[in-house]
Amino acid sequence: MDKQETSIWRPRRPWAGFAEAGQIGESREPGITAVTLEGLGFATLIAGTSSEKLERATKRLLGLDLPREPCAALSDTHGLVWSGPDQWLLLARKRTGFSDLLVSLSVDAAVSEQSHGRSALRLSGKRVRDVLAKGSMVDVHQAAFPVGTAALTSFAHIGVQFWRTQDGPDGAAFEILIARSMAGSFWSWLAASAAEFGFCVTIDQA
Amino acid sequence: MRIACPHCGLRDLQEFTYLGDASPSRPDGLAATESAMFDYVYLRENPRGLLEELWFHNAGCRAWLAVCRDTLTHTIQSVVPANKRKKGAAA
Repeated sequence: MDKQETSIWRPRRPWAGFAEAGQIGESREPGITAVTLEGLGFATLIAGTSSEKLERATKRLLGLDLPREPCAALSDTHGLVWSGPDQWLLLARKRTGFSDLLVSLSVDAAVSEQSHGRSALRLSGKRVRDVLAKGSMVDVHQAAFPVGTAALTSFAHIGVQFWRTQDGPDGAAFEILIARSMAGSFWSWLAASAAEFGFCVTIDQA
Repeated sequence: MRIACPHCGLRDLQEFTYLGDASPSRPDGLAATESAMFDYVYLRENPRGLLEELWFHNAGCRAWLAVCRDTLTHTIQSVVPANKRKKGAAA
């Protein structure tokens, strides 16, 4: 019998139906820019009673130390973000080889694949802090939130995880992660909050 | 009110969920009498002054915290992860 496409399920981009390329609000030079991050791999790692073995494994496989404080350890290809005591978020910029990596790490941690369970954005620009300040009680001032700092908090009652990456040409840059089922609600808050500064949206075609 | 989470730093009250007095410990379910279980589930002191209580940082690190708080002034004396607390510290 020929294999027929009978499923109603279709792949869908994490921000499909919400984010569209273009400019929202003020039409002057954008004060904040969002780039959707697509095709990334995400997983949660939870170490049991001891995280030393996991630390050795991440060092060996990724060249990254496990952050022991609310920080993000990032390389060009991967990242480890503190997500609570003895818990980390593992991210990979590309999903190639990601499942093999998770198998290797599952020896030393409880690993849960979340690649399809999260929506991610990169936010940058001169006014990015003004937008984040509307949603979060976390102080994101340069002095209080240097490059590499991470935080778990909520924006408009939506749980978020975000961290500061290297500054871009347009100023400070943050990567922000939310549960994918909340992408629509989050986008509605973000678009409304960023509009007054001029909000430029780019869709990652990866 | 803000709580200084030992993991996340100073955070607003709305990130936390309140459980209540940290001192009651659950009687052994098999050996417990009905009245001991009733005490554990329903009966609480309502002290004026220092109280050690449990808070859950649900919008942050998702850890249980033992918070020593003055119920009269809301002044917080100490916050430690619940699994590292010394029992009866506030008493």
